[in-house]
Amino acid sequence: MEELKGAFALIGYGLAAIGPGVGIGLIAGNAVQAMARQPEAAGMVRTTMFLGIAFTEALALIGFVLFFLV
Amino acid sequence: MDELILAIEECDLSENAVCAPENVTDLFEFRNAVVDVFGFPITRTVFLIFLAAAFAVALIYFGLRKKATRPSKYQLSIESLMTFVRDEIAIGIIGPVGIRYYPYLMALFIFILIGNAFEVTPFINFPITSRMAIPLFLSLLTWVIFIVVGFKRNGISYLTAIIWPPGVPIALKPLVGVIEFFSTFLVRPFSLAVRLFANLVAGHVMLSLLLTTALVSITAFVAGDISAVKGLFGIAWWALALAIFVFEVIVIMLQAYIFTLLSAVYIETSVNAEH
Repeated sequence: MEELKGAFALIGYGLAAIGPGVGIGLIAGNAVQAMARQPEAAGMVRTTMFLGIAFTEALALIGFVLFFLV
Repeated sequence: MDELILAIEECDLSENAVCAPENVTDLFEFRNAVVDVFGFPITRTVFLIFLAAAFAVALIYFGLRKKATRPSKYQLSIESLMTFVRDEIAIGIIGPVGIRYYPYLMALFIFILIGNAFEVTPFINFPITSRMAIPLFLSLLTWVIFIVVGFKRNGISYLTAIIWPPGVPIALKPLVGVIEFFSTFLVRPFSLAVRLFANLVAGHVMLSLLLTTALVSITAFVAGDISAVKGLFGIAWWALALAIFVFEVIVIMLQAYIFTLLSAVYIETSVNAEH
């Protein structure tokens, strides 16, 4: 069991990255769509996009930290 | 450079595709003191923290010293950087009262930017923000500021406004209260710190491992120790490392921006907690 720990941590991080990956894709895709439809709102959309990405990314980062902690 | 030498000595290309030290933390820990100041050993990391702080102060001091009517390119770039932080982050996110938090946000932004930029600076090649102590300290600073500001501006109603957003049904109040309390007061500083830390750790690991492997395989190929195919692999690693280098420059600026932006957002939720 002891020698498998690293492998489990790797799998766990991979699983933790799935959701945020999909989420960031959705956010970025919709932000591009919004910017294309309304270019004058691009600055506001970009700020909000970064915020959304930052919050979504947090889940993957917790997985990343657990990978180091195990 | 310590970590590079460490990895090169132990590297055996016939067994591994990528040269990596036995323990990845060797890439981040410098145990040998550079100088000893009254019994306090100054390691490379501590030295780089002071260097980043001094560089940040010098950059702004010499940029704004003259205040010329026809500014030089250097003064113009410092001024546009400061205007960006003031208008886009401080006032843009927090509102007109945001000008009070502008010095803090500016200091945060420029220190993180320089600390991150050490990652791609030749002969330094070590981002100080990849040691958890520094992002954690900065995020705890933001944490203290937004809690103090929240209680100062709203009194005790700050707590109820944060843990019970308007429109929560009475039956859900206990559950929502616990979740919001944890996410605001415990997860926020943690995720703020870890975001910066993890991005820089990942970047530093990728760059140092790829560049080390490329260096080892190209020198071995030149010396005639390995076949031409493996030598080509070394050049491929090197090209990949250069591509990642460009990518890391973007990450460096983006993470400094995001850290400052989120600090401003957290302060904004305290300033305008009532709605």
